Amino acid sequence: MEGNIVEAATIFGKLVGAGLAAVGVLGGGIGVGLSALGAVQAMGRNPDVAGTIQTNMILGFAFAEATSIYALVVALLILFVF
Amino acid sequence: MSETTTRWRWGTNRWIVLFFIILSAIFAGIFPPLRPHVQLPAEYLTGTLFTLPFIGEFRLSNTIVALLIADAILIGMAILVGRAVRKGEQTFTGVTAAVEAIVEGLYNLTESTAGKWAKTIFPWMATIVLLVLVVNWTEMIPGVDSIGLFDKHHIEHPEACTFDTLARLGSTEVVAVGGESECAAGVVPFVRVASTDLNFTIGLAIVSVVATQFVGLRALGPSYLTKFFNTRTLFKKPMFGAIDFLVGILEAILEAVKVLSFSFRLFGNIFAGSILLFVVGSLVPVFAQSAVLLLEFFVGIIQAIVFGMLTLIFMSLATIGHAEAEAH
Repeated sequence: MEGNIVEAATIFGKLVGAGLAAVGVLGGGIGVGLSALGAVQAMGRNPDVAGTIQTNMILGFAFAEATSIYALVVALLILFVF
Repeated sequence: MSETTTRWRWGTNRWIVLFFIILSAIFAGIFPPLRPHVQLPAEYLTGTLFTLPFIGEFRLSNTIVALLIADAILIGMAILVGRAVRKGEQTFTGVTAAVEAIVEGLYNLTESTAGKWAKTIFPWMATIVLLVLVVNWTEMIPGVDSIGLFDKHHIEHPEACTFDTLARLGSTEVVAVGGESECAAGVVPFVRVASTDLNFTIGLAIVSVVATQFVGLRALGPSYLTKFFNTRTLFKKPMFGAIDFLVGILEAILEAVKVLSFSFRLFGNIFAGSILLFVVGSLVPVFAQSAVLLLEFFVGIIQAIVFGMLTLIFMSLATIGHAEAEAH
């Protein structure tokens, strides 16, 4: 009986912890949205350099996304490793 | 005034697509998808093959198999291009033309960023981009992550699993597993995308960061090291000199952190993608995975370009001296 409670508490903690860790994805989403906003505005003002802006926008995406990917990795580690 | 009416044509491609959808529906009926079992470390296909001094035991893991496949594809491409060059063809066609376009694009990118050091930096950058690209795209090969050996030692109740033997490899059976969902834990895929193994991504990141130091040393000589041990201003202006010295130590720590950010970015993206593939594949086994595969196709390109771009940017920053950067 006690073992069951401990096991249930472990699973509960894992799931809640993974969910909390995944909250970090929020920042990445905001960052990606902001970089797209800036890129689209710049392209609207100056359509000639759209190609260069697009390349830099994707680089910015990757940087902004990286932090949210760290949060995702932490969540996955909690779920599948511990 | 002529009104053009487009006649409805029955093409052939849609029938091929329909055929594959029906085929996948039939196969999903015969081999029902399992609830996926996600495992972070790579699975081992064999026992200890040989023991190396200092490094330890060598066992063949399924990510190494994927890496070898990617290597074979890259070497094949190199041989094709080499043969075309030796023949003296004026215009390349097919695979060689694609490789030419990729390499030319990467070289232009390098030249616009790195300037006169483009010839030094380009091999590192292009190698990383091509390797990561091909490794990420091994996810597209059918059978990767899904066909494998069934290892009874991994699960508690092997009796609950029913399997149909597909083939035999020596004494071990290649199986398609059915039955309880726990059985998925026992399947060791033959091939698993190499980017989902932290060993690969950390190794690549270490190569990139260490090579950056070498490029910096080659460009600036011993004065490159003053970036990390900044003693130039320490005796002239002790207050600001001390701050500069601490900043130099922070730079050294940043170099080490680069390894982490490089490796976790690639690993996280591709591993999350493969989990998405597992989950979608087990929920909707017919057709839905194709959309996710398209997404993964782009993620593979973007991550390869980002890894190479960052290497390029850090290397070209290393060739610009600290003092020179301040003078601007």
